[in-house]
Amino acid sequence: MKQTTETRKIVRRWRLCACMLLMAGGLLSAARAPANEPATAGELKGVDQDVQALKKQLIDLNRDLFRLEEELLYPASTQVAVFLSVDVGTFFALDSVTLKLDDKEVTNYLYTEREVKALHRGGVQKLYLGNLKAGEHEIVATFVGKGPHERDYRRGTTIKFEKTLGAKYVELRISDREASLQPEFVVRQWE
Amino acid sequence: MQRRNYYARARARAILETLAIFVAVAAGVLAWPLVSRAAPANGSAAPDFALKSTDGQNLRLSEYRGDIVVLTFWASWCGPCRETLAQLNQLPAGDAGPVVLGVNVEGDAGRAASVVASLGLDYPTLVDTRQAVGRLYDVERLPLTLLLDRDGVVQATWSAKEQPGESLARRIEELNP
Repeated sequence: MKQTTETRKIVRRWRLCACMLLMAGGLLSAARAPANEPATAGELKGVDQDVQALKKQLIDLNRDLFRLEEELLYPASTQVAVFLSVDVGTFFALDSVTLKLDDKEVTNYLYTEREVKALHRGGVQKLYLGNLKAGEHEIVATFVGKGPHERDYRRGTTIKFEKTLGAKYVELRISDREASLQPEFVVRQWE
Repeated sequence: MQRRNYYARARARAILETLAIFVAVAAGVLAWPLVSRAAPANGSAAPDFALKSTDGQNLRLSEYRGDIVVLTFWASWCGPCRETLAQLNQLPAGDAGPVVLGVNVEGDAGRAASVVASLGLDYPTLVDTRQAVGRLYDVERLPLTLLLDRDGVVQATWSAKEQPGESLARRIEELNP
């Protein structure tokens, strides 16, 4: 876990260096222009276009580095990601989710009011991203919050899955079961 | 001839030893961040966390980006902590003042709430039930008070008997445009 953080830090440092190099390049090219004569509208437009191009390059570079970071830290052959989404969710006010992977706690996430609102608006949260070797594994998700009639609610869901060579994605979805007026916790898997 | 060989071997050994020392120092420097753990230093970003407050609300530090934040770690048994908590309660509220967040490191919500009530604290008090945030900030001496700028970067730190007092008010004024 600590090594992962360190690798991330190194990639971030590289990203920062690359950004600084690009910015320095932009500044140097701007400095090459003669400074004594007042800039015409055409020249200003040219500078503006250069700045925009530089910004685009920065965004592209950042995206590529982000992909590289993900590929380095979580190769597809071992990658496992767990997502959380809420569909309606009127019978359950989410407070926290604890995730155990093969009996080891990997995440304990506490939700603020703003985060719960974002989930209700259709947001999908990446709750966990890690590496697992091929074979059978088990995830236990414990949802804590307020259920119907403001009662404290705690519910666990167990998912057993087979990790193959490809990346594994698991979605935990909180939805409403209208018939029983109770929340429902649905698990979906993707390869 | 034998003497020349001896000198050549000695030189080679000296070069090897120098290289070995250099490699060991480089490895030590590279491995230091993996083995060391220290409180966030001034100028570094304050680690993010979410905790439950004594009134049951969940609060996340990163949601206060854009505000000046004063973060203070305390425990009910710590005398100087009470003094710091009372001082922070005197800071101006609203747009002019910073957001103050108290973090009780004992993990006992009941005890934390009773201190909050006895001191009449107006700012939220978070309870570090698992002591995870205390470890994250490497809290060794109490109280520990940190001043964070609008980008969540630590600008100043006060710990143990060192009370923030006027120095905190001055630093807040400097951060306000």
